[in-house]
Amino acid sequence: MHPAGLAAAAAAGTPRLPSKRRIPVSQPGMADPHQLFDDTSSTQSRGYGAQRAPGGLGYPAASATPQAAFLADPVSNMAMAYGSSLAAQGKELVDKNIDRFIPVTKLKYYFAVDTMYVGRKLGLLFFPYLHQDWEVQYQQDTPVAPRFDVNAPDLYIPAMAFITYVLVAGLALGTQDRFSPDLLGLQASSALAWLTLEVVAILLSLYLVTVNTDLTTIDLVAFLGYKYVGMIGGVLMGLLFGKIGYYLVLGWCCVAIFVFMFPLLPGTVAHARNPSTLGGRSRRITRSGRCG
Amino acid sequence: MAFTLYSLLQAALLCVNAIAVLHEERFLKNIGWGTDQGVDGFGEEPGIKSQLRNLIRSVRTVMRVPLIIVNSIAIVLLLLFG
Repeated sequence: MHPAGLAAAAAAGTPRLPSKRRIPVSQPGMADPHQLFDDTSSTQSRGYGAQRAPGGLGYPAASATPQAAFLADPVSNMAMAYGSSLAAQGKELVDKNIDRFIPVTKLKYYFAVDTMYVGRKLGLLFFPYLHQDWEVQYQQDTPVAPRFDVNAPDLYIPAMAFITYVLVAGLALGTQDRFSPDLLGLQASSALAWLTLEVVAILLSLYLVTVNTDLTTIDLVAFLGYKYVGMIGGVLMGLLFGKIGYYLVLGWCCVAIFVFMFPLLPGTVAHARNPSTLGGRSRRITRSGRCG
Repeated sequence: MAFTLYSLLQAALLCVNAIAVLHEERFLKNIGWGTDQGVDGFGEEPGIKSQLRNLIRSVRTVMRVPLIIVNSIAIVLLLLFG
């Protein structure tokens, strides 16, 4: 093998030096594969090659003879083309099947917000006592996008509030000299675990009480995610005003979230489809907020 | 405070195991929670107790084989990594 390699190297002596430069500078995803192999200035490439070849990238020129023969131009070309076609196929596959695991179109509905909606919703989360009409407006049996209706649930505020809460908790830990970067991950994971537990508990309760509801799991996640806004407010007030401020704002936000959620969930349920008259009646939460 | 997602998974696995080991004949019938006891009408206000009964029975039938697999994985992982 070695004499054959030497012969090949001797036969293709000059291209061997550019190939020494080519190997470390492999850039997949270049539009023109030929550009990878045409070096413009030979002196620069030679100096570059001398710098980078012993640079520990794993391609020393001395033992690269079998590699140089392997990575001759047409083979690398084919490999690049094959790789890019594989990537395109993979992307196609993911695009086709992503809808099975993550309902992307449904998720897009929850992020259709604008600034005015976010402002009004935040105001509603902190002061829901004066709001009169809690019903979600419908447009031919599908709920209207959150941009047009303050009562519609969205996922933008919970997601942003979650991330902000983790950062603010890190800030609070930092003021107490207890901060370290992995604690941020721990806070995020812990908050996510509590959220999951609450969603599972509410789903279980809804199942046990046999309520006919239009609430999807994502709706529940959205409603439960609104509590992070209050938590952020509490922690910030606690940072500014100490324990008393923290507990005061926390109490206020608890009552506000309670008043917020209590009429809102029936407002979502009341639009459930009419139950069939054949079976017995099933329990429905009416707009008055009572099971009946 | 270390309430992580992993501990939640562990707790869920333990709870599902607990529901799966409830024996129909030896235990549930003796406390009146068997699935053929007390199911009176069709959908006339199913009630929480019958919903719970159905939940227990469905967990026991559906989760039997996946629980075997997940438990084996958990045992191997705990043996290897503590």
